[in-house]
Amino acid sequence: MTKAAGAHPWVVQAEGVWFAYREENWVLRGISLEVPPGAFFTVMGPSGAGKTTLLKVLAGLLRPQRGRVELLGFPTDKGIPAEVRRQVGYIPQQLGLVRSLTALENVLMGCLGRQRGPGTLMGLFPKEEVERAQECLSLLGIAHKAGERVYRLSGGERQRVAIARTLLQNPPIIFADEFVSDLDFLRAAEIITAMRDIAHQKGISFVFNMHELPLVQEFGDYILLFKDGNILHQGTAKELTWPLVQEALR
Amino acid sequence: MRRDLFVVSLLVLFLVLSLGQLGFFDLARLSRGASNLVLFSRETVPPDLGILPMAGQALVETVEMAMAGTILGFFFSLPLGFLGTRSFFPATFVVLPRLIIAATRTIPSLLWAILFVIIVGLGPLAGTLGLAVYTVGYLAKLYYEFFEGVDPEVVEAVMGVGASKLQLARFVVWPETANSILSQLMFMLEYNIRASSILGLVGAGGIGFYMQVYIQTLEYQRLTTLLLLILVLVIFMDYFSAWVRNHYLLVR
Ligand SMILES: Nc1ncnc2c1ncn2[C@@H]1O[C@H](COP(=O)(O)OP(=O)(O)O)[C@@H](O)[C@H]1O
Ligand SMILES: [Mg+2]
Repeated sequence: MTKAAGAHPWVVQAEGVWFAYREENWVLRGISLEVPPGAFFTVMGPSGAGKTTLLKVLAGLLRPQRGRVELLGFPTDKGIPAEVRRQVGYIPQQLGLVRSLTALENVLMGCLGRQRGPGTLMGLFPKEEVERAQECLSLLGIAHKAGERVYRLSGGERQRVAIARTLLQNPPIIFADEFVSDLDFLRAAEIITAMRDIAHQKGISFVFNMHELPLVQEFGDYILLFKDGNILHQGTAKELTWPLVQEALR
Repeated sequence: MRRDLFVVSLLVLFLVLSLGQLGFFDLARLSRGASNLVLFSRETVPPDLGILPMAGQALVETVEMAMAGTILGFFFSLPLGFLGTRSFFPATFVVLPRLIIAATRTIPSLLWAILFVIIVGLGPLAGTLGLAVYTVGYLAKLYYEFFEGVDPEVVEAVMGVGASKLQLARFVVWPETANSILSQLMFMLEYNIRASSILGLVGAGGIGFYMQVYIQTLEYQRLTTLLLLILVLVIFMDYFSAWVRNHYLLVR
């Protein structure tokens, strides 16, 4: 077992982080931030600002060239150990679902990190994992689609399956890229509400980027507004003003 | 446009030159060939149907060899292709599986069959093993290419929760590529049925053995029977694999 997330004041901490895919072509320019446990942390910025890159750096999928990132108390600069990796949920922009498997089977992928025995290879999962997976689907209101293959699900349903998979994984922190961008406003609000309830109930931190200002203002506990790899505003969502957003989108 | 014309003229030039080199424009030889062809075709009809029971049995053996060789090769090509996939294993690691795959593919199944005749003796076992080895080289290469086409986000998502490589294969790679894998398997079976019909030429069992005998003893009417049987088999395989593809694959 790793140190519990609660033992640290921050689940993720970044200090002066610089990142470039190619030599000196900086995408992140000295980003510093802290994500407290149980927080709903939203990242905003125009397309190409580096939001995906920032999420990957924070989740330990990319290593910054300068500065330092601590994830659940572990510095990511030398690559994080497998047990820590397992405690980090990451939902990529395209969700990363296996299209030809059912919703339930996709959710069960979330427990593979702790169920590595040969039984799973024959499609046999422990009963309590299957029950938990079904609960996760219920929690997101799509238990009735459990047996449906993912390629037959709508965008919103797929999104829920991806969340349910990460909930079954049960990490203290979940990163989600462009989380509700493909959904209409009401669906987006519905999903975000469900997630915030889960976050507050289970003490999970969510770090994700999203464009919809009203949703960010309504739901975000913390907000990071950034552009060209620089932070324009960092603080509570309540402090976010229209001029600041205009500045970011200009 | 002009470049296309240039490429086509180059190809034609190459064809003419190489055919000339190979004796294609030797008129005396051509006319001799033509009269031989007439003689030969007169001797090949009508087919001698008296050998049907025996030829039928040899045909069954040929199909068995092809099936067994294909399936045996298939079972080895899946893990070998997986180990040769760059997106799942480090570049230094995939070198060895890829070398094995390339080596097995370089040698045609007929040569493998000769090798196995030497090792395990005359008969269908040698043919089966020869087909299996070539199948590994051919399928494993296609398979690692399919595997490399699997969406990296899906791989990342499943590896991210801490799944093992075997679990990755079972839950991501197989479901995402099963369709292409199986349709290539059908293609390989068709190919191997054609290939196995000549393996008998080197003593590796099946209908090819009788082909070789009838060629040497100049019994061309019997040879015709064999060729017709193979034709029927190949046409049947075409329909069979189309049927399998329509009913079991690509329905996703
Ligand atoms: N894999 C990559 N290789 C090179 N450049 C990349 C890669 N991914 C993103 N970039 C570049 O980094 C910048 C930020 O991209 P990204 O983080 O995807 O922005 P956002 O998610 O905010 O739209 C863009 O200029 C993009 O072209
Ligand atoms: Mg992005």
